[in-house]
Amino acid sequence: MARFFPLDVAEIRRDTRDAVVLTLKPREGDAEAFAFTQGQYLTFRRAFDGIELRRSYSICAGRDEGALKVGIKRVEGGAFSTWANQELKPGDVIEAMPPMGAFHTPIEPETARHYLGFAGGSGITPLLSILKTVLAREPHARFTLVYANRQISSIMFREELDDLKSTYLGRLSIVHVLESETQEIDLFTGRVDAEKCAALFSRWIDIGSVDTAFICGPEPMMLAIAASLREHGLSDAQIKFELFASGQPGRARARAASSAASVAGAQCEATVTLDGATRTFRMPKQGESLLDAALANTIDAPYACKAGVCSTCRAKVLEGEAEMLANHALEDYEVRQGYVLACQCYPTTDTLVVSFDQ
Amino acid sequence: MPETMDIEEYLRQGGVLTNPSNVPPRYRGELLRLMATFVDSELAGSAGFAAMINEAPGLKARISAARIVLEKTDHAERVLTLMGTFGADTARYAVHHPWAARLPRDADLGTARHRSDMRLSVFHYPLQGWVDAVVMNVLMGRAVGVQLQEFSHLSYAPLADIFRQIAPREARHAELGEEGLVRIVATESGRAEARRSVAFWRPRIAASFGREGSARFDTLRRFGLRRRTNEDLAAAWAAEMDAFLPAFGMA
Repeated sequence: MARFFPLDVAEIRRDTRDAVVLTLKPREGDAEAFAFTQGQYLTFRRAFDGIELRRSYSICAGRDEGALKVGIKRVEGGAFSTWANQELKPGDVIEAMPPMGAFHTPIEPETARHYLGFAGGSGITPLLSILKTVLAREPHARFTLVYANRQISSIMFREELDDLKSTYLGRLSIVHVLESETQEIDLFTGRVDAEKCAALFSRWIDIGSVDTAFICGPEPMMLAIAASLREHGLSDAQIKFELFASGQPGRARARAASSAASVAGAQCEATVTLDGATRTFRMPKQGESLLDAALANTIDAPYACKAGVCSTCRAKVLEGEAEMLANHALEDYEVRQGYVLACQCYPTTDTLVVSFDQ
Repeated sequence: MPETMDIEEYLRQGGVLTNPSNVPPRYRGELLRLMATFVDSELAGSAGFAAMINEAPGLKARISAARIVLEKTDHAERVLTLMGTFGADTARYAVHHPWAARLPRDADLGTARHRSDMRLSVFHYPLQGWVDAVVMNVLMGRAVGVQLQEFSHLSYAPLADIFRQIAPREARHAELGEEGLVRIVATESGRAEARRSVAFWRPRIAASFGREGSARFDTLRRFGLRRRTNEDLAAAWAAEMDAFLPAFGMA
């Protein structure tokens, strides 16, 4: 089960106008839990106005740096990233789960692989971790990084990347593609789309020599690059993705106010939304779980274990109240936000409005 | 090209999701269901096969059977660990069903699940001795190959990665079964026994590909969790069987 640990904020370095790099220190005894693989991310939690938010940020340190660092770029309207950029200070404590994620390939020191990385904006963070680690641990490896940004001033880790280029002369090649700043070579201006990829592969990058490609950026960029890589002969197994968290809402919504508790009644009018379709049916308050009642009314709700263990049947109560007999899968903050396991859920009010789509 | 896009549109266009925080709620439900089906089937399959280790006719066969049991359990663990990143209690999950339990051989299950256990219906039938176990392993091994080929392209990258990694090992399990089957069909009585097992398992494995015209399929395809229909996959497997069984003297 997910577990959070306190991390001390040892250092905060401002990297660009709206991005900071945090150096974090696990407490005595927790260091092993925070040993990471290149390309992994940390999930943080913090309460904003009493509502817990969780956000994942990629580790930007290499495995041989002896430090745990994450880069956080401020997102317009994003509660967590704004707080990290404006209010967090050295000496503060922040809570995080141990590193997770599989955005990497195994290190093989004897091989001479050619890696190709694509980063869009703050998507550079896991790629920085990967390229530093593979260049240090695979002495014959080459890395080509295509790094897309709006303008020079928004490039995260610009100096560090320049330094790495000198350290790994001939093994690290970096192509900066800037959207709104003209460069000497047209190829390096504009967005990284299918056309740009095709041009890069025909004139700049020997795609035939690439063993593995890593992509981290916003959704349209990932789609365009992946399609182009496949078109140029890479298999799915050779393309590794990390989608950064643009889809995460800035602020969790409060649970809808529940209706007044009902007088004792044996029946409940349940309204269930699944895949955008809403259906209402009557069910007993006891003896039949919300999931079973929904299935009996031919609603094709997702479930697996029916034992409160797997969380497949997670749904959100929007109106009314319900109790769960067992819960081994949802965390307290999810329960506070109104989530229930439908297989363990019994209504306690006369009406219950539930959605599987939220 | 816009800066970002709706996640469902992204999936419709073949996009890939990479961690639990990317995943929309309905997608999450279907993904967990798919993972639970795999985990339950691997655990039930290996638990049923474990009893067959003692039926093995020789040391090599014994080692093969033990290896299949070990590796299928390992494959279940890999996917269960991924379920844990979505909140599943993996320790409880691993023991929440009696994986070795079976129904009577003559039970008529079709494609239906039995109670809350998500194992494919075919894993509810008991194995009857070594020849039966080998035949089941060979036929099901090819079916798993067809399924893993499909799942290696699904849109949740960490799960697709696992399926790509385990596919060669699962293929090897089927090959080990085929090596055993060659020895079995070398005698007339062995061939007759194997034929009876093929007649029993073939329709039941065909049913494990799921219902025709499944309503869930459209949702799964929209989410990038499936590409080919149940019927397509079942037909691909049937064609493989038609080409393959005659080589063992079985039609």
